[in-house]
Amino acid sequence: MEEIMPFEFKQCISILKATGKKAKNVHELRDLISTVSDDCIFHHTYQYFLKGHILEYTNDFGHWAGESLEERALSERLSNIDPYEFKDITDLRNELINEINEYLKMFPEPREAMHGDEFYFNETVTLIFPVGIRARNLAEFLTAMRYINTPTIYYHFYEARIRLGGGIDDFSRWIEDVFGKKELANRIRSIDPFMHNLEEIKQNIIEEVEEEVRKDMEVIDRCLTSM
Amino acid sequence: MFNQYVGIAPKSDLLLLQILGEKLHKKSFLHINSTREGGGVAEILQRMIPILEELGIKARWEVIEGDARFFDITKKVHNALQGNIEKVTEDMWQYHFEINRRNAERLNLEADAILIHDPQPAPLVEFKKSGLWIWRCHIDVSNPQKEVCDYLTRYCEKYDAAIFSVAKFAKALPIDEFIVSPSIDPVSEKNRELTDGEIQETLNKFKIPKDRTIILQVSRFDRFKDPIGVIKAYRIVKKYNDCILILAGSPATDDPESETVLNEVREYVANDPDIHILLLPPFSDKDINALQRTATVILQKSLKEGFGLTVSEAMWKGKPVIGGAAGGIPLQIVHGLTGFLVHSVEGSAFRIRQLINNPDMSRRMGETGREYVRKNFLITRQIREYLSLWYYLENKGKSILEL
Repeated sequence: MEEIMPFEFKQCISILKATGKKAKNVHELRDLISTVSDDCIFHHTYQYFLKGHILEYTNDFGHWAGESLEERALSERLSNIDPYEFKDITDLRNELINEINEYLKMFPEPREAMHGDEFYFNETVTLIFPVGIRARNLAEFLTAMRYINTPTIYYHFYEARIRLGGGIDDFSRWIEDVFGKKELANRIRSIDPFMHNLEEIKQNIIEEVEEEVRKDMEVIDRCLTSM
Repeated sequence: MFNQYVGIAPKSDLLLLQILGEKLHKKSFLHINSTREGGGVAEILQRMIPILEELGIKARWEVIEGDARFFDITKKVHNALQGNIEKVTEDMWQYHFEINRRNAERLNLEADAILIHDPQPAPLVEFKKSGLWIWRCHIDVSNPQKEVCDYLTRYCEKYDAAIFSVAKFAKALPIDEFIVSPSIDPVSEKNRELTDGEIQETLNKFKIPKDRTIILQVSRFDRFKDPIGVIKAYRIVKKYNDCILILAGSPATDDPESETVLNEVREYVANDPDIHILLLPPFSDKDINALQRTATVILQKSLKEGFGLTVSEAMWKGKPVIGGAAGGIPLQIVHGLTGFLVHSVEGSAFRIRQLINNPDMSRRMGETGREYVRKNFLITRQIREYLSLWYYLENKGKSILEL
């Protein structure tokens, strides 16, 4: 019998590195977005989901434009950018700059941030480590999901999209590859990554998998009664 | 000691600490600061060193020695870095260096990683023999006096990395700069769980009624903590809401202005029997803990602040906190989620009224705040960040490290 590839739960944590660069208005923000490192853009966009955040924003740039500058229209534009649509950081960086340029055509003199409330450009160092939990079937997976914490969800649900591409996360890939459950995999892939915090993503996945495990149990039940 | 944090700190922090402990097993980690007791740095080091040792790391803590002139100079440097106008002459800098030179002769500076806390021992880097040297700045340097900052930068640049508490404190330096927030210790006397009896003991001592709404601010009597503003807010609240106000703080012996501010506060209070000014002697940690656990709403209405860890201390007790949007307070209070950020007396009064009249919202915010502190501001997180960045510096060049 072929051995089932277990799902190994991992987690990542980040340590924040300062670049010492800051922007006090949208012009400076745009200019610095065009010159800071890829690691810096990565941190302020993809890693936004790792933080406790306000749902209406999807990256630090949009968050700052909305909360500190109160430039709502700009924050809406920036928050509508889906970082997983781009093949690399350069394309994402260009899209951020385009959106800011478009906004500046309409509002060429945006306000300045208050002193101390500037946008500070940071980078991160990420450490990935196994959390010591493995699952070999869906029931074990379901139990494990109830135990794991939200940074583990970030690693497998968000960070995985950058590693695997195509809007695919580790959970749905394992479920499809190992058990051939394409429908369940698609249901997990259809969870909107921007409309939930990490705890809600976890609950959504638990609900989908629980439903599947329950259905599988009912099938066995019917088999027994027909005997 | 490590076991004390099981069930309190996040499991993943404890797990990562153990993994990093294995990676850095038997390596030496030297901390140097300028005082063995008093102040947040010494407080954290007292707790951190035994935990590091338990993780298998050879941790050592040394303190530099200096005379009154040296500490007078370093106090001036400290104040100048926080934005005060101070005159630090070349002669003073030379003396600062000379005292560090003498300490370098006395101390064993050999270690795999050396963490130097604050400006007092910063020149020790000139006597670096081996290992990774990291400078840890605990001060608010967002708006420093330029000449003093520039002079100190000459030393900073010789380190392998620097650590600041808040991103806006970091400068453009040619070395790696990390952001590591300070933390609270959940099992210390100031933060541990208390029995009802222990709480009642404190309330009896200060004659505080338990059956009334209590607004509390714990802080030194310092204009930047805005005690008069707190009283003004309380008076607005009092119009429709019965409550008492407690202003609790230790008289600071090193701050000549505190007596003046305290007198101003007393005068402003006049004869209001519902305002309690509590002058707590040093080591009143258990009393502060009890007061925070009894309060209905806790304020930290600072106009200027370093990090303001009293906010995390209050949140850890499950209380909704109203804080001035200054220094590190906005990092701890997510507005509307773990508390409220305010910019005025009127704003403070409004939020106090809102919390007093919505016990459910108060409870929800308090619970969210406690979880926020658990994830972000406990000592275990700070230790794992120190070890992580040490491990990163040993594996330099990789921004993603798989353990």
